[in-house]
Amino acid sequence: MILRRVLALPSWADQVTVFAGEPGPDRPLRTVRASLDASASPARDELVALVRPVGPDWQVDALLRRCADVGAAGVLLPGPAPLSASRLLADRLSVPLLLTSADPLELIVDARVLLAAPEVDRADTVLSVHRALGERLRSPEEIVTSLRRLLRCPVAVLDERGEVLAGELADAARVRVTEPVPHRVELADGVLLAQPVVLPKPPVWLAAVLGRRAAPRADVVAAALSVAAGAVQRWLLAHRLELERDARSRSALLGDLLRLDGEPGADLRRRAADAGWRLGGWHVGMRIGVPSEVDTVARAQEVVRALRAESVDAVVVEHGDGWTGWVTFDQEPTAERVRALSVRLRAVHRGLRRTLDSRLGVGRPHADGLAATVAEATDAARLAATRPETGYFLHVDQLGMAQLLLEWTRTDTFEPAANALLAPLHAAPGDLVRTLAAYLDAESSLAETATVLGVHRNTVAARISRIEQLLGVDLSRPDERLALHLAARAVIL
Amino acid sequence: MRITAADVPALERGVALLGSGGGGDTGTAAVLLRKLVESGREPRVHAIADLDPTTPVVPVGVVGATAAFTEKLPGGDEFASAVAAIERWTGSRALAVMSIEIGGLNGLMSLVVAEELGLPSADADLSGRGLTRLDQFSVAATGRGIAPAALAEPGGQVVVLGSGSDGEVERGARAFVASSGGWAALALAPIPAGELAEHAVLDTTSSALSLGRRALAAGESPPRHVLETALGGGLLARGRVLEVSRYVGPGQHGRPGFGRGSVTVADHHDGALLRLEMENEYLLALRDGRPVASTPDVLSVLDHRTGVPVTCDAIRTGVEVDVVCLAIAPFWTDPRRLPMVRPRAYGIDCDPVVAR
Repeated sequence: MILRRVLALPSWADQVTVFAGEPGPDRPLRTVRASLDASASPARDELVALVRPVGPDWQVDALLRRCADVGAAGVLLPGPAPLSASRLLADRLSVPLLLTSADPLELIVDARVLLAAPEVDRADTVLSVHRALGERLRSPEEIVTSLRRLLRCPVAVLDERGEVLAGELADAARVRVTEPVPHRVELADGVLLAQPVVLPKPPVWLAAVLGRRAAPRADVVAAALSVAAGAVQRWLLAHRLELERDARSRSALLGDLLRLDGEPGADLRRRAADAGWRLGGWHVGMRIGVPSEVDTVARAQEVVRALRAESVDAVVVEHGDGWTGWVTFDQEPTAERVRALSVRLRAVHRGLRRTLDSRLGVGRPHADGLAATVAEATDAARLAATRPETGYFLHVDQLGMAQLLLEWTRTDTFEPAANALLAPLHAAPGDLVRTLAAYLDAESSLAETATVLGVHRNTVAARISRIEQLLGVDLSRPDERLALHLAARAVIL
Repeated sequence: MRITAADVPALERGVALLGSGGGGDTGTAAVLLRKLVESGREPRVHAIADLDPTTPVVPVGVVGATAAFTEKLPGGDEFASAVAAIERWTGSRALAVMSIEIGGLNGLMSLVVAEELGLPSADADLSGRGLTRLDQFSVAATGRGIAPAALAEPGGQVVVLGSGSDGEVERGARAFVASSGGWAALALAPIPAGELAEHAVLDTTSSALSLGRRALAAGESPPRHVLETALGGGLLARGRVLEVSRYVGPGQHGRPGFGRGSVTVADHHDGALLRLEMENEYLLALRDGRPVASTPDVLSVLDHRTGVPVTCDAIRTGVEVDVVCLAIAPFWTDPRRLPMVRPRAYGIDCDPVVAR
């Protein structure tokens, strides 16, 4: 047994201060002996606990000396602090000098129980955690609150990226989230314990930070965390089941609505009302597309939170590889309102892109019926995937329908023709195809093209004249310009 | 032996060193003595062997709060009153005086008194150092007893404690002093010079004088070995006072205790911590928690630069000091007398640690 393990006992941690002679991590402790006064003769690895205050007595110094001579584990003093002379001496002799204002006899009993049966502390803690969390389903917040009380240290539930879901933890970033096994991380002044909850995927983490004083008790806390991990898992599974059920019915309802030709029937109306969706009014659709490996059910909450954070009151439904959503207005929204909405959605998307490889398309307002605006949004999202320069965000209002029609150019017959048309440019140096596309997108403005591409306008001018040379065209002629614009679009997409 | 003007500083240094941090401030007594000597009245100190064995020698001195002695100066007739009272009580005329306590101001006052009374001074005292209580005097240790004792305070009151145990006389004298002027002149019953060898510590004035001379010769900030040689004692620590703590000590028999205290000095040499436990004198020295010196040996704290002894009242944090231990006269290390002056006599539960 080591002295620090005893100091980490709850009763000792609360009521005993290390006044001087900070014990090293390995200072052994064989037993704790009660002594009526400071005249005791300590033995090796023994902690002498005085049961009566001795005040500023010089005998404390003499006792420290005897402890140092035989290699005793230290001295526990009740009552008022001894002189700073004693503190200096304890530091000088490296004899731990502990102070308490509590009843030293109780502390001695606790220490002796630990020394006699070290496993009792762990068993007690594990049992109390089990009792506190075992009976019913508890939210992560409740679990964290209970653990903090029982383990007397900061505890948090983290998601698979180490972000805090519940509780507070300063060193959450130190959890090695890529290794889903229980582990401990040594901190500058303590230890971080992490316990993964591997099912359901993605894993979440229970993490606790023990201060330097409590660190020797890490084995007990780790055992308690593994018990608590079960409670977190139960809650996650139950919650997940609820989410899945909810998501499935919503996405089925959305499917029905999108397939609808004409007026919805009474049954559909009732289901929509149950889900809290308004079918009447003006809708602005949006579509967030993500790679297929993203768990859209689990992360729907994130999207909802992000929207709420920008005060966008939208319905979001897990739908295919992503989410489909819409905002409902009572009357036809003015251009101003649509633009404001677009700005907010762009901000939402910027936030989501930090953790999600997503793209966002927004449709135009349509009255009565979601299908049209959602379809526009879906097309826009698909286009947005190729637009890193807009932050993978496209709003159909900005595009105009004409550009949406470009979708049509992505046909099997048009693409080979387009490739052939632009082939001379591929062989030449400089990103001529992109330059051409940007130039035409920018309404033949050299300055704007230069800004978009991030090159000097003279470079653009040079490239354009080379393009005209290579292709043998005159870009001032509308017909040739349109053909090249479409071809460049098709090749780039 | 005559005490000349040149001897006064040496004698003052010597008695202050023997005070072991107590015995009272020697400044006022030194002024009185110097004035006397400068007016041509050089006190004569006689070795005991030179005195007729039947010569009655009266021990005299100041008791009570020595700080009050400096604030409330003697009127001039306190000692005469006390000696007269004890002469009347015992029916024996004083033909010489001696000091009750060589350590501190009484080591000088007996010479002043002798000269004022026109009597020779005997080279002996009842303490051999600075002591806290009357019942620790050598006459108490040898069983001769203190009573009768006459006390005269500066306000004119005179009392004689005619009989009683040593403890009772101590308590009575203490009560009288506390309820009158704060200090009083004390005269004890005359002791025939022939009995002084048995009942007193001999040659203390002369040895205080030579100790003081050697200490002054060592100069300011003396090196370690020079200081040890000059004082004939051990240097326990040379360093800075880190902490001075004062508190009321455990009282005994319903009496309030004397003020107790601890002084901690960090030795510059090796960083060791020297802790001194004090009451009215420095009583016990622990070096890194190990007792290294104790009463009855004389523990003195000297200002490192000037070498002036620092009393228990005056010591404070931050001063650079030398802590020295001087061996006590063999009178006190006799196992029959040691219990009177060992640490336990002051309520410090530690065996005496004496040099030799």
